[in-house]
Amino acid sequence: MIVAGLGGGDGVRIVLETEEAMLLSELADQVDSVLLLGEADDPALGRLLPNAYPDDRDAAHDFTRYTRDSLVDGKRQAAQRVRDATAVEEPGGVVQIELDQAEAWGWLTFLTDLRLILAERVGIVEEDEAGSDESRDDYLRAAYEWAGFVQGSMLEVLDPITG
Amino acid sequence: MTTTIEQLDLESAVRSTPEPSWRVVVWDDPVNLMTYVSYVFRSYFGLARDEAERLMLLVHTEGRAIVATGNREAMERHVQAMHGYGLQATVERFEP
Repeated sequence: MIVAGLGGGDGVRIVLETEEAMLLSELADQVDSVLLLGEADDPALGRLLPNAYPDDRDAAHDFTRYTRDSLVDGKRQAAQRVRDATAVEEPGGVVQIELDQAEAWGWLTFLTDLRLILAERVGIVEEDEAGSDESRDDYLRAAYEWAGFVQGSMLEVLDPITG
Repeated sequence: MTTTIEQLDLESAVRSTPEPSWRVVVWDDPVNLMTYVSYVFRSYFGLARDEAERLMLLVHTEGRAIVATGNREAMERHVQAMHGYGLQATVERFEP
């Protein structure tokens, strides 16, 4: 995975190995599914759509009623764009993606949502009996770390520290 | 002379500004990268780099930071935006 600036403007170019693109596409599809199908009591959804009024049930209910659809739409759209941009037609080679500033924000927020979900899922696995599903746990952890690496690399390009 | 004018301006500004009594709290979340949180604060609230870094570090070290105060409707819009960015944010009332 390589992230570089776009010549002469704000934005990033991301170069992914085919396997990385396929992984990201699959993860983006799963994030979209969680947002579309997630049960109301799914703790991962709770991370993506936090309670704005923890001490006021009525206000919390109203806030959710007025904001939830638009938040879910925005997050699903971001996930779908990543999924589509990383869809691999044929194996082998690399996938190059160019993002302007606005598109890059979609990726940054998607990567955040993805990591929130993965963190929640890994946490759930940890609470289970030791060794119940270690390979799944390892896979989620690796994906979590990798998504953070992609996001951090994008931020280094989009927001270089000038000192 | 100049001092007097400035004082008058300040007084009228204070009088005409309604008392804000709601605020936005952003809570620490081990998932979000510090660079990301700081970038969101700058991009969304239009903060200078130093101020954005200060608030981000406050979230990180104190567990929470107040990032905006004002009327309730505006604060709810900010919280909705923070949720869009994936930050854990709440609205709370306070006595000015």
